[in-house]
Amino acid sequence: MATTAVAEAPRMAGMRFGRAARRYGWTVAVYALLAVLMVTTIIIKPDYGAFEWNTLTLAALPLAFAAAAQTMVVLSGGIDLSVGPLMALANVLALRAMLGHDLNYSLGVALIVLLEVTLAGALNGAIIVLTRVPDIVVTLATSFIWAGLALLVLAKPTPGIPLDVQNLAQGSALSPWVPNALLLLLVVPLVWIPLRRSRAGLAIYAVGSDRNAAFRSGVNLGLSRVLAYSVGGFFAACGGLALSMTTGVGSPLAGTYYTLSAVSAIVLGGVSLAGGRGGILGVVAAAYILSLIPAVFIYLGIDPNYGQMIQGVLIVIVVMIGGLGAVLRRV
Amino acid sequence: MAALLVAGFALVACGGSPSNGGSTATKYTVGVSNTLTGNGWREEMICSIKAQAKASGVVSKVIIANRTTDAAGQIADIRNLISSGANVIVINPSDRDALNSVIKQATDKGIVVVAVDQAVSEPSAYVVTNDQVAYGNLGADWLAKKLGGKGNIIEMRGINGVPADTDRHQGLTAALAKYPNIKVVKQTFTNWSLDPAAQQMKDIFSSGIKFDGIWTSGIDSTVVDQFQSSNKPFVPIVGADNNKFVQELATLKDKGLTGAAVTNPPPIGGAGLAVGLATLQKSHSYDHVIHLTPQVWDNTTADGAAKLAQTYDSTLDPYYSVAFDVKPYTTYTKQDLIACQGPG
Repeated sequence: MATTAVAEAPRMAGMRFGRAARRYGWTVAVYALLAVLMVTTIIIKPDYGAFEWNTLTLAALPLAFAAAAQTMVVLSGGIDLSVGPLMALANVLALRAMLGHDLNYSLGVALIVLLEVTLAGALNGAIIVLTRVPDIVVTLATSFIWAGLALLVLAKPTPGIPLDVQNLAQGSALSPWVPNALLLLLVVPLVWIPLRRSRAGLAIYAVGSDRNAAFRSGVNLGLSRVLAYSVGGFFAACGGLALSMTTGVGSPLAGTYYTLSAVSAIVLGGVSLAGGRGGILGVVAAAYILSLIPAVFIYLGIDPNYGQMIQGVLIVIVVMIGGLGAVLRRV
Repeated sequence: MAALLVAGFALVACGGSPSNGGSTATKYTVGVSNTLTGNGWREEMICSIKAQAKASGVVSKVIIANRTTDAAGQIADIRNLISSGANVIVINPSDRDALNSVIKQATDKGIVVVAVDQAVSEPSAYVVTNDQVAYGNLGADWLAKKLGGKGNIIEMRGINGVPADTDRHQGLTAALAKYPNIKVVKQTFTNWSLDPAAQQMKDIFSSGIKFDGIWTSGIDSTVVDQFQSSNKPFVPIVGADNNKFVQELATLKDKGLTGAAVTNPPPIGGAGLAVGLATLQKSHSYDHVIHLTPQVWDNTTADGAAKLAQTYDSTLDPYYSVAFDVKPYTTYTKQDLIACQGPG
């Protein structure tokens, strides 16, 4: 009996390691890639300092939130084309309500905006579940609704986010190396990690990977999908508020660039577009990588348009390596 | 994979880094931030900055942050230009107010920031622009007069919310207030891109909207082309001093095209750099806000027709503006602009 236990232990450990590698391998690889790129950047630009690190975090912040929003929906087997317009909606609602008010009032406004746009996300999910129209069609349609609503709230870009609110993202209260924007980004793991470990989070994965199996295991499909869209709406709202804080203005077209960039970030971050696979933490690193590339091109004095090509090449290479890994595992 | 990327970056680094030789007098680094790509006007603006940098003889390097992005992306680009050691940063702003804090950070570090083409509200920046309110005003006034103060017009704007579009719309609205019988029956945003403008014209033709004149914010020859390809009789069209539109105004007059080109020179970019360099060298003290007054080239007057015929240049890109300099600020030649080469 003692001998079997001894023999069993390493095998168990081996299995656990294999599972952990499968589950977290990509995330670790993305962080490793980010680390390598950071080191490369520092070699290229030896005076890389707190200012540059703050620049990178400010640029990555809205993209990371947009990508987190998209990740939630994609994990549940859907796709949300309205992430950008939801960000714009949060952005203009915040401007309209915060204009001329102080910090405390504005924080109250931010909470209400988060709630409103979370509900808008829930509505996306509810329409999809109730009408059974494909996600891509519904969110394409609602993207026009949210964008139109944003234009109704605010017709043109308007300044007026209170300075104290802007400093919540632009300053660095603790240390120059810990920009406030980085602290704001902690919202992502603070929401994600508890959700990931809960039954509801597991249900979102289950629905995304195999809807029939999830249904037969007693998962409430509709509720899980609406939850995924709601949390997605919440992250999109965070992204819109991040834009308010980093630019100081409300703009009805604020989120335009983030719907598709978010898809790039989640693919690079290891989320399977087929659903049910991946996590948010790798996606955050991917947002940093995608923001670092144009910066490096400017440091090198090269047209950042090439940076966009490099991003494309990078995504293709990473996805190909990921696909190769999946094939090898199967063999 | 990581190694591959590092190699890629290193390769790029070798190819792109300027030579450090030559210890001549102080040479400046110029940063440029532009957020609309694939647009002839903006490309010409960037070429004028490169040409002026070279002609000035005091610039060692021009770093161009040129990508399609939003205000948040432009803030990151400007911060990266600050990090790259730029002494002068020329920006075409994507928003009037959103860049203020980053501009302030740059000017606090002694960097001269010049906003060209469109204004910013940060007082420490220099603003060198065409008078965009006058641009909207003069063109709309010409159109209203041409229509005898009565009729329906279509307003084809630029990008919703960017400063130049807002200013031009304000100018147009003010001009039309004097003509109560002129009605704007349709408003579109071309995003200063050719394809949307072409599609919008097709939609307008098929919708059966009755209109007597078109005001465009510079996507002009596309509109003329749509009239030709749809075999519709021309209405008076207001555009900008773009090469192809200038040619059309000169050559299609016999076929009934009346129109006016309102000047909006892209070399405002080079002019902005000249102002920035002079400020840096303390060789000249400029006002913080410099406005160029646009001219109206009307193909129905003798003066206008002569100007149009004389400025059209078959060697120039059709979507470039015919204006190759902004006197007295720019000092490069037309060949420099077409060559589009910076120093080094």
